[in-house]
Amino acid sequence: MTTSAVAVSKVSKVFNPGTPGQVDALVDIDLTIAPGEFVSLIGPSGCGKSTLLRLIADLIEPSGGTITINGKAARQARLDQEYGMAFQQAGLFEWRSVEKNIELPLELKGWDKTQRRERAHEMLELVKLPEFAGHMPWQLSGGMQQRIAIARALASSPSLLLMDEPFGALDEMTREHMQAELLRICAETHTTVVFVTHSIPEAVFLSDRVVVMSPRPGRITQTIDVELGGDRDEDTREAGGFYEKITEVREALRGIEQPVVGGVDDR
Amino acid sequence: MISRAARRTAMFVLALVIVAAWWEFYKWVGPEDGGSILGMNILPKTTDRAMPHTWDMVGRLFENESTAADSRPLWVAVLGYAWYTFRLAIGGLLLGTAIGIGLAILMARFRVVERGLLPWVIMSQTVPLIALAPQVVSWSGRFDLFGWEWPRWASVCLLAAFLSFFPIAVGALRGLNSPPAAALELMDSYAASWWQTLWRLRLPASVSYLIPALKLGATASVIGVIVSEISTGIPGGIGRAVISYSQAATSDPEKLYGAVFGAAALGLVLYGLVVLMEVVVMRDRPQEEFS
Repeated sequence: MTTSAVAVSKVSKVFNPGTPGQVDALVDIDLTIAPGEFVSLIGPSGCGKSTLLRLIADLIEPSGGTITINGKAARQARLDQEYGMAFQQAGLFEWRSVEKNIELPLELKGWDKTQRRERAHEMLELVKLPEFAGHMPWQLSGGMQQRIAIARALASSPSLLLMDEPFGALDEMTREHMQAELLRICAETHTTVVFVTHSIPEAVFLSDRVVVMSPRPGRITQTIDVELGGDRDEDTREAGGFYEKITEVREALRGIEQPVVGGVDDR
Repeated sequence: MISRAARRTAMFVLALVIVAAWWEFYKWVGPEDGGSILGMNILPKTTDRAMPHTWDMVGRLFENESTAADSRPLWVAVLGYAWYTFRLAIGGLLLGTAIGIGLAILMARFRVVERGLLPWVIMSQTVPLIALAPQVVSWSGRFDLFGWEWPRWASVCLLAAFLSFFPIAVGALRGLNSPPAAALELMDSYAASWWQTLWRLRLPASVSYLIPALKLGATASVIGVIVSEISTGIPGGIGRAVISYSQAATSDPEKLYGAVFGAAALGLVLYGLVVLMEVVVMRDRPQEEFS
């Protein structure tokens, strides 16, 4: 049996424990992700999907349970840069050129300059923006910035990519294009992905598995295998199976009692 | 870029002309002995002694400083004093910048320090410089550091830094805390140390906050040096020139204004240096709409 890429076992997270503002953000989460798998986390605001992503990234600590990445404790995995991360905002550093942005994680890992430059150019080839190496981030469109952010996340060849609504701020056309690009990039690099999203079609199009979550307390209510095969392209969006899966996810979400007032912010 | 620079220069000249025109206009229509409204003396006198003509003031710059045989033209003398004060102001600004950024880094690093230190930093600015200046200047000759005797100009630099560090500390602290949560999480995800995050994220992010703070600091440093010079009578700079010229103001009022012009020009040059630095440092950043 191979080591799972991500193993979340009996994990819970309580914010502000013991105070009137106590929030049970996550309870009793079990999730195992195989290497190379693409898993989306979907659910209404406050279901804890971003919290779960941050727990996997070891940006916050669980209140209970254990998390391992490639068999390592989450803390050690972070120290070893086992994963790359991308957020809703591309978050490129505006004072660094595109290539210097991609080099950032390599710099922190202590790579030397020529190696860094070489890898940055490889990554630019991968995201199909090789001619923009010397540009400044603000000269690029939102979609291009997000592609650079993905290149940065993958620069040190992590086996795991954690993404928090990375295409949430893009327009629909760019968004669909980016989804296809992401699938291509992940297939080329054999990267495991955990992907947080609000969009049902996005989750279905991208994922091998869609994890449906519900709020208060945050928990996993259903896991849906998508089974649309490995070769997905624009035609997949018009295939019958695609609509069936969308309906299945939508019904799983509909079963969740929607919060009357806005849920707790899931960050 | 060129046209913008030209427009700025034109605006500057226009502003000077407008100020001069107001001066002359008021001198023309205002009451000779000044005036009071509701018992308060608020209208300045318009005599030639109180308000010399602008052209007389400019003309005076090209006459000799004094009647002594070896006297220089006034503008040369003022330039010399301004140069002396300029160097002290630069020293004060550099020292103030180092102290300001140092304090800001300390406050950004340790929340406790921010809470403990910030009230003192703010309180320091309520201490009048005039009260402090003679104390600090009297250090000279009183102690020496490893054979280096504390000179009076170092006291003046320190006093200028005392004024200039404040806006820089406040601006730098805001800048260091300006990166969004996602950027900090990104650095965390790379397991970057606090110092790596400071060097690669917080400091570069603080630059656009530091520039306006430096502009305030530059002006504050000039004021600090001139006030210190005036209140302690240290020779060599524009502050001392203001004192000695004002003693002759009844017979030669235009001369005093020569020193005032020198002080104003000094402030502008130091400010201009910061703007020049801004252009260089910010050349790759997204262009602001207004600057």
